[in-house]
Amino acid sequence: MNDRSRDIGPFVPAPDDDMIICRCEEITKGEIRQAVHDGMFTLTEIRRYLRTGMGLCQGQTCSKLVKSIVAKELKVSPACLEPATSRAPMRPTEMYILGNEAKEVR
Amino acid sequence: MKNHADVIIIGGGIIGCAAAYYIRKKGYSVIVLEGSPHIGNGGSSRNGGGVRQSGRDPRELPLAMYAIKHLWPALSDELEVDCEYHQDGNLRLGKTQKHLEILEGLTKRAAACGLDVKMIDGDEVRRINPYLSEEVIGASWCPTDGHANPLTTTLGYYKMARRLGVHFITEARVTALKKIKGKLCQVITQDDVYEADTVILAAGLDSREIAATAGIDIPMQPAMLEALVTEAQPHMFDQMLGTAEADFYGHQTKHGSFVFGGSSGLEGFTKDNHTPVTSSMTAPCICRGIIKYFPVLRDAKIVRTWAGWMDLCADKVPVISPVEEVPGLILACGFSGHGFGISPAVGLILSQMVSGEETALDMTALRYDRFKAKDLKA
Amino acid sequence: MKRYDLIVIGAGPAGLSAAIEAASKGLKVVVFDENDRPGGQLFKQIHKFFGSKEHKAKIRGFRIGQQLLEEADKAGVEVVLGAVVEGLYLDKEITVKIGETLYHYKGDAIIAATGASENMVTFPGWTLPGVIGAGAAQTMMNLHGVKPGNKVLMLGTGNVGLVVSFQLLQSGCEVAALVDAAPRIGGYGVHAAKVARTGVPFFLSHTIVKAEGTNCVTGVTIAQVDDHFQFIPGTEKHFDVDTICLAVGLSPMSQLLKMAGCQMEDNPARGGQVPICDENGQTSVPGIFVAGDVSGIEEASSAMIEGRIAGLAAAEYLGYAEKSEVSKEKAVMEGQLESLRQGMFAPGNKGKKIEQTQEGIPVSENLLTRGFVADDEIMRFPGVTKKAGVHPVMECTQNIPCNPCQDACPKGCISIGSHITALPAVNESAQCIGCGMCVAACSGQAIFLVDEQIGGGFASVTLPYEFLPLPKAGDKGAALGRGGQKVCDAQVISVKTAKAFDKTALLTIKVPSEMAMQARFFKKEVAGDE
Repeated sequence: MNDRSRDIGPFVPAPDDDMIICRCEEITKGEIRQAVHDGMFTLTEIRRYLRTGMGLCQGQTCSKLVKSIVAKELKVSPACLEPATSRAPMRPTEMYILGNEAKEVR
Repeated sequence: MKNHADVIIIGGGIIGCAAAYYIRKKGYSVIVLEGSPHIGNGGSSRNGGGVRQSGRDPRELPLAMYAIKHLWPALSDELEVDCEYHQDGNLRLGKTQKHLEILEGLTKRAAACGLDVKMIDGDEVRRINPYLSEEVIGASWCPTDGHANPLTTTLGYYKMARRLGVHFITEARVTALKKIKGKLCQVITQDDVYEADTVILAAGLDSREIAATAGIDIPMQPAMLEALVTEAQPHMFDQMLGTAEADFYGHQTKHGSFVFGGSSGLEGFTKDNHTPVTSSMTAPCICRGIIKYFPVLRDAKIVRTWAGWMDLCADKVPVISPVEEVPGLILACGFSGHGFGISPAVGLILSQMVSGEETALDMTALRYDRFKAKDLKA
Repeated sequence: MKRYDLIVIGAGPAGLSAAIEAASKGLKVVVFDENDRPGGQLFKQIHKFFGSKEHKAKIRGFRIGQQLLEEADKAGVEVVLGAVVEGLYLDKEITVKIGETLYHYKGDAIIAATGASENMVTFPGWTLPGVIGAGAAQTMMNLHGVKPGNKVLMLGTGNVGLVVSFQLLQSGCEVAALVDAAPRIGGYGVHAAKVARTGVPFFLSHTIVKAEGTNCVTGVTIAQVDDHFQFIPGTEKHFDVDTICLAVGLSPMSQLLKMAGCQMEDNPARGGQVPICDENGQTSVPGIFVAGDVSGIEEASSAMIEGRIAGLAAAEYLGYAEKSEVSKEKAVMEGQLESLRQGMFAPGNKGKKIEQTQEGIPVSENLLTRGFVADDEIMRFPGVTKKAGVHPVMECTQNIPCNPCQDACPKGCISIGSHITALPAVNESAQCIGCGMCVAACSGQAIFLVDEQIGGGFASVTLPYEFLPLPKAGDKGAALGRGGQKVCDAQVISVKTAKAFDKTALLTIKVPSEMAMQARFFKKEVAGDE
C-alpha cells in the first residue's frame, strides 16, 4: 500500500465503467478505477482527486461503494482502506445559520 | 538498490511532488518519502488555492511572477490533469479606511517590484465583481493574479512524477538525517534507511524537527488555518478574493462550489492534539465574514470544513536554500501559508539546485542562514 | 458555555434508554435529535417486537418509542428535536443547529447514539427515480402515509427486507418478488413466511441485472448468480415494477466519533467503521460513549439495553453511581443482552449454515430458500401437532430469542422453557380454549388455531390478519397455502378484534378438513378473480 510504485497491473476498461457511483458529483466507476491507476491509492486521495463524497450527501451513499472499487483495483481487502476523514458540519448547513452563533444559551 | 536514489525528497506535498517531477525530468532517480498515509496531506490540500503575486513579500514575489508567467499557463496540459487555473485577477478587499491604508502599502511595495497592481474604488470593484456588497469601499486589483485547484495540482504533479518513475513511499516517517564523512547521505525512517547524493527537506512543519537531526534550525511555528467549501452554486465570478486583514480568502471553483479559507484570530494558539481538527468557532467566524462581503452567499450550504497547520516562518517567507554546512541538504520549508501559488517555480528551482545549474531566480533572500537577532541600534 | 452532565446524541432506542438510565441516577441530561419526531427508527416500526418481557416483546415498535419518551420525560430528560449536532470537537464540545441558530454546548460525558444509514448497491439504472432504500419506503409509508409505489421488487431478505415487504403489502403495494444474492434468506423465517403465504415469490441466489426505464423505473431484470456471484446466462427474469427497494444492510453513522478523534476500526461484522470501545461502550476518548447501531449494527431491542449500559457507565464515570451498585445492575442488563444474542441468528452465527435446531430437528430447507416451510417438513416441529378439538399450531421452526407465546396462553398450552431460544412446544396435558391470545401475541404471526373437525367435513383455521379492510364473517374466498398458492375455497367464519390483540385481527376460516394443515392465509374473492 505504501509503495506507490507497486505493480497493480494495467487499467483494463470494463463494460460498466460509465456507471455513476458518486451520485452527488456524478463520478463514474471508470473514473475511480482510472484514478487508482494514476496512483491514488487511498480514499482520501481519491476524494481530493475526483470529489467523490464531497457532495450534499457527504459520502453517505457512495463511500462504501468507492471503497470496494478501489480495494478491488488494488487487489486488497476493503478493510485495508481507511475511510476518508469526517468533518463538520455533519449536515450541509447554510452559511447564515453556521455564522449565526447563539449569543446566549437556549 | 531500492533504497538508493540520486535524490531523496522528504515530504510528498506540492513542493515535494513538483520538485520530484522537475528533477526526474532532468534524468535523476528520485525517492519521495511521505510521512502521512496520503500524498499532499499537509498544507497542499488545505489551502485556498490562490495563485497570486499581489500581497506578497518582495523577497518571494519574483517566484510568484515567474510561476505565473512561465509555468501556470501550461500546467494542466503538462500534468494531464485539470489544475483549474484561472488568471482573472485578484481583488483584495477593504471595508474601512484602515483597510485601505494596509492595501495601499502592499500595492506600493508590489508596484515597486514591477507588478501590475493598483488601488480601485468601491464602484470599480463592483464593476469587476457585481456580487460584492456596498460595504466594500476599495480594493487592490491585480489583473494577472488568479487561482487553481490545489488538490488536483498536487496530485497531478504526483501522478506525472510517478509515471516518470519517481518512487513514492507513504507512511515513511523520517526520524533522522545522517552525515557520513562530512556529507549528508542517509535518511533514516522508522523502518528503513535510504541513501542519496542530495536530500531535499520539504516536510512542512516537520522540517524543523528533521533538520535539527543535522544540526540546522529554521525558526518556524505552527498556526492553524481553516477552510470550508459550499455546495455548487451557479457560476458567478472567476476572480481570486482576499481581504485587507486576511480574515477570509477564496474563489469559486470550476465545480461551482466556493472554497474559502480563513481564521478566527486565535491561530497560533490552537491546541495541538496532533490532528488538524477544526475548531468549533472558526467556520462560523469565516461565514460571518464572507456574508458581509457577499450577501448573495448567505443561503449557500457549507458541505465540509477542514483545517491545516501553516509552517509559519519567523519572517513569513520560506527557506529555499542549499545548506553548505551540511553538504547534500537542500531546504524548502517555512512557506508560511502561501506556498501553493509559487510551488511550480519552487519545484523548478529545486531541480536546478540539484543539477547545480544557475537557478532561474536569485534565491539569496530566502537562504536558511538569514535569521538574525534584532538590531538594537536601529 | 452551557454544560450538561451528559449530552446524548440521537433520540432513538439507544439514546433514549441511555438518557433515562443516566437521568435516573441524577445526571442532568439533554438529548439532541435531528428529526422532528423522537424515537429514531422505532417510530417507523409498526410490527411487534421479538424477545421476552424485559425486551418489550410483542409490543409494536412505535409504542416502545412512546413508552421511552414518557419514561424520559418522567426522569427529567430534556429532549430537543429538530436539533442537528453539526460537530463533536475537542473537550467534548458540540455545536447544534436548532432552527436558524448554532448553539455550543459541552458535556462532561457524551453518548453518541446516532444510529446507521442504509447501504446501496449499484447496477445499471440504480440512479433512476424509483430505486429507493427500504428505510425510505418505511418512512414514506409509516410516517407520512405515502405509498412508495404500486409494484415493488425488494432486494434483500434480511429482517429489514422481509419486514418492509410485509409493510408494503399492508400499505396496498404489490410486491413482485423478494430477491437476494445470498443462497439463503437472511432474516427470521417467520418474517419470510408471513410474506410468502400472501403469494410473494422469493428468488435466492439472484440479484438485479438492471433497472429499466428512461426517466423512472418501469421494470427490472434479475438473474441467478453462481457461487462467485456471477450471473448465469439464460436465467434472466423480468418484472414490470415501478419501484425497486434496496434492503442490503446498514452502515454505522460514526462520523461524529471519527471527527472527535475516537479510535476507529473497520469491522465488517459490525457493519463498517465503528469506534473501538470497551464493554460499557466507552470509546478511546474518556467520557465519550456509544450505544446502538453506531457501535455495530444490531436491533432496537439490543440497542435499548446497550443504551442503558452506556447511561449507567456515564453515571459511574461522573461519580453519580457507586461502582458496586453499577456492577450489579450492569450484570442484569448484560444477561438480558446475552439472551438476545442467542439462537440461530446470534452475531457469531452470521453467514453460517445451520443444519439443525438446538432440539436436533433438521431445519426447513424450503424456508431458507423459498420463504415457507413445506407441507412435508412442517410436522416435524414441536409446535405442530394434530389433536381433536381446537388447538394451537405454532409454526415456529428456528431458534430465536422470543417467548411471549408461552405467557400468552392462560391455560399453559405452550411451553418454551427457561431457554428463550427453544422452539415452542405443545403441552399435551393442557386444554386449549381457543381464545386466540397466542395468535395475537406471536410477533412472527406464526401461530394458528386449528380445529380439524367442526362438522360436515370442515375444519376451522384461525390466523393472524393485519390487512385492511378486514374481511367480514361470511366472506368467501380462497385459502392460500404457506407458499401463497390457492389450496381450496374458504369462507370466513368470524373476525375477532380486541384491545388485547393490539391491532392483530383473528380471522377464522372454514376449509375442508383435509386442508386444515395447509390453509394459512385468506384471500377474499374479488369479482373477476380466477
